[in-house]
Amino acid sequence: MPEIKVTPLGAGQDVGRSCVLVSIAGKNVMLDCGMHMGYNDDRRFPDFSYITQNGRLTDFLDCVIISHFHLDHCGALPYFSEMVGYDGPIYMTHPTKAICPILLEDYRKITVDKKGETNFFTSQMIKDCMKKVVAVHLHQTVQVDEELEIKAYYAGHVLGAAMFQIKVGCESVVYTGDYNMTPDRHLGAAWIDKCRPDLLITESTYATTIRDSKRCRERDFLKKVHETVERGGKVLIPVFALGRAQELCILLETFWERMNLKAPIYFSTGLTEKANHYYKLFITWTNQKIRKTFVQRNMFEFKHIKAFDRAFADNPGPMVVFATPGMLHAGQSLQIFRKWAGNEKNMVIMPGYCVQGTVGHKILSGQRKLEMEGRQILEVKMQVEYMSFSAHADAKGIMQLIRQAEPRNVLLVHGEAKKMEFLKQKIEQEFHVSCFMPANGETTTILTNPCIPVDISLGLLKRETAIGPLPDAKKPKLMHGTLLMKDNSFRLVSPEQALKELGLAEHQLRFTCRVHIQDPRKEHETVLRVYNHLKGILKDYSVQHLPDGSITVESILIQATAHSEDQGTKVLLVSWTYQDEELGSYLTSLLKKGLPQST
Amino acid sequence: YRDLHTFELQAPTRLIEWACGNRVCVAGYGQSDGNEILQLIPPPTLLTKETQGLCPERDFKVECGGFSERPVYSLKYVPDTSLLVTSGPPDSSLQVWQVSAEDSDVIKSVSTLAAENDTGQSWAKIATISARAPWVLHGSRLDRVQITEVESRKNVYTAASRGSEELSGLAFLDCNTLLLCCTIGQLCLADIRQPQSLVEAVSVPLAPCSEQWCMGTRHGAQGLEPSSQPVARLSSRGLLTLTDLRKTSEFLALAKARVPSPGSGAEFLCVSWAPALEGYLAISGFDGTVHVYDTQSWDSSGREAEPVFVHKGHAFGGAGGSRDLPQVTVHTWHLQKPRTLLSAASDGSLHVWDWVQPCGKC
Repeated sequence: MPEIKVTPLGAGQDVGRSCVLVSIAGKNVMLDCGMHMGYNDDRRFPDFSYITQNGRLTDFLDCVIISHFHLDHCGALPYFSEMVGYDGPIYMTHPTKAICPILLEDYRKITVDKKGETNFFTSQMIKDCMKKVVAVHLHQTVQVDEELEIKAYYAGHVLGAAMFQIKVGCESVVYTGDYNMTPDRHLGAAWIDKCRPDLLITESTYATTIRDSKRCRERDFLKKVHETVERGGKVLIPVFALGRAQELCILLETFWERMNLKAPIYFSTGLTEKANHYYKLFITWTNQKIRKTFVQRNMFEFKHIKAFDRAFADNPGPMVVFATPGMLHAGQSLQIFRKWAGNEKNMVIMPGYCVQGTVGHKILSGQRKLEMEGRQILEVKMQVEYMSFSAHADAKGIMQLIRQAEPRNVLLVHGEAKKMEFLKQKIEQEFHVSCFMPANGETTTILTNPCIPVDISLGLLKRETAIGPLPDAKKPKLMHGTLLMKDNSFRLVSPEQALKELGLAEHQLRFTCRVHIQDPRKEHETVLRVYNHLKGILKDYSVQHLPDGSITVESILIQATAHSEDQGTKVLLVSWTYQDEELGSYLTSLLKKGLPQST
Repeated sequence: YRDLHTFELQAPTRLIEWACGNRVCVAGYGQSDGNEILQLIPPPTLLTKETQGLCPERDFKVECGGFSERPVYSLKYVPDTSLLVTSGPPDSSLQVWQVSAEDSDVIKSVSTLAAENDTGQSWAKIATISARAPWVLHGSRLDRVQITEVESRKNVYTAASRGSEELSGLAFLDCNTLLLCCTIGQLCLADIRQPQSLVEAVSVPLAPCSEQWCMGTRHGAQGLEPSSQPVARLSSRGLLTLTDLRKTSEFLALAKARVPSPGSGAEFLCVSWAPALEGYLAISGFDGTVHVYDTQSWDSSGREAEPVFVHKGHAFGGAGGSRDLPQVTVHTWHLQKPRTLLSAASDGSLHVWDWVQPCGKC
């Protein structure tokens, strides 16, 4: 049976470090190449030795696909392509290709410059890696080679995130990456057509959560910001250049407008231009509403949000500032943080995950005295809040996606083993498909039932459709023919044609059976008796008495001869072809019962 | 409000039960099979005494879940065990389940307790206790009340037959005393040490149209005699009676709640006492609201009472333009936080809210 093999190298039953290997019809594809943000040693990279123990991976992989720019999906890419070695194509969407290198470089800076690591990829490696990237558009079928094709679908979640369909012949796998089934302020919801893949690989991080409604989160966020600003404090929101920042900007802008607030909101310079640039470039990736209003007014050109200048940080009075980088590990956001940390009227709101070692992580864990460069101690009196606005699919969303795509099997990644049992059962019960949840390094084999296309000869088709009931588009019709397999082609032809093509003769099989009947009369009288008898019983069949003394029932021949030794016994020869086996044996047993006395 | 959190369950629930470890359980009651029983871990914001506005974890987490073939109308945990019991149509049998949160996250069906003389007409109301052994008190009618030991499935007690009125609720007042409430309103007390006795408590005021009643008992603070806590009864017309079980011949208090026209059915009628706030109770089941009352100012006149707070969130929550307004199916109080309630509605919403005492009252 043909099969698809899936091996997670990361995110098997574990969150972080997504990397899944798929083997489909002889092609090997790597899906995502993420970094585990919680580890500082080799455990942060997926274990590539699974693919091959030695040497470069180019020969073993047909392509690599990256779903989106989050580091736990692309963080290990430069390491993989430049340090382990891979020169084949790397596919991702256009926004991902544009934004990935920025985040990778940022991350490299923290790890190498701040933490002093040595075994890490360099800036040049990032550039070299990105040269191998082939960007794809949504719903564009990309031929990787003659047999392997891939197609990207919109996934929501972050700008440029995509779900990928990988197809070889008639076997296909869909990999979701991270996705979101509910639209938010600047991105739409994930969507896929009824592509009926053999396997759907989906993340299940949030499958066990019942999320607080977005309105409540937003309301609480706005409340906190408002309260701080009302009492004259300053709010710092460290963000990455792209991602949730835009969502929060739109939120604050709308709120400021509605409440007629006067306190200034600033967005780091450089950040605004870049973000605007990317969003304009990738406007098709945002949601419907933004695209519609973009013509009249650029959603990302805000009325209340202005460009920031370093000097503003010292201005008295309330304000809200969005500054990069997101984990408070360097740059402008850290500078501002240091200025404002000492005042308890101020507040810092962390909108996402912070890597260990960064100031962001430290203050979220509760540390209030931080050691800065030059042994300076910074006392943190400002309020520290955390607000996660990340967009992932919950159990309801996962079920929705499965309902849309109609896969034959489902594989769960990104969740903890014990916590996925319930979801597995839920999926199996509702959709009657098998659900798998392998651990890292564990290979799951999925059997597929590929359809094999066969050419049917016109003559055979016409002949078969003429027999029996009229063809019905909804019912399968059983046809008889001969399958000829030559090289890579399959043809279904009539038996006669097959014989002709192969130069074989058709053999006829004929059976003959002798039935003894006690009848002292002459042969031709016996024959008459037999004829009348059969005619009486077999009313639906054509029973004929031929001039040469034989009887035919359909195509079966019956002849009577006298027994050589005993004149009182007549021997009936019943002869039929293989095709009339049933009727022949019926007749034989009928005749064996003897003739009725009356005739 | 001091705080309001709204969540959406995949399927609506008509029960919210607290389990040990601050877990909350909900279950689906749809007609088709595949109803889920979900044991949820509330977000930390709800577990701490002080409310925090922003918190990393704001979501309910499904700790474990099970699948029930029949709709789940009632669910009770069996104290001191890892079992829970559910009941639902079409008959009065009970389903026993095992929760094993460490090994796997599936709640497994363990056994079925059939009711004796099950007429197959209505679903059983249940209450559990683990005084001498894990027991479940169950029955759908007054003459079908029994206590079964959960693990051995042995019948331990059968109540004397007094009539075949349908029950709307039952409870253990202590390990020997039972309290039964009929849908027509009467309360009955029974002592399981005396199987033949069934004391009838005071009936409810006669009403021109038939109405249905349900009751709410209070598990008071430690040290208090359970029977000294008043029992509240709520009718589908909005009438509320408070009865002291030691003086069953009269009402402690009688009041009328302002509720919409009594056309709505009594299926989701629910009245409950606040565990941490003396004299406060909440009612729901008439529409998309939950009312909170302070009963300390009530007397026996039957006047209309003003609610201290009305939670209207469910009526506004759902998708705009839906024809049927959601109905609150159940509500429950937080066990420690005095003014926090959880309520669920027929559109699948689950709200957790903390109300503020209006000014002018201490």
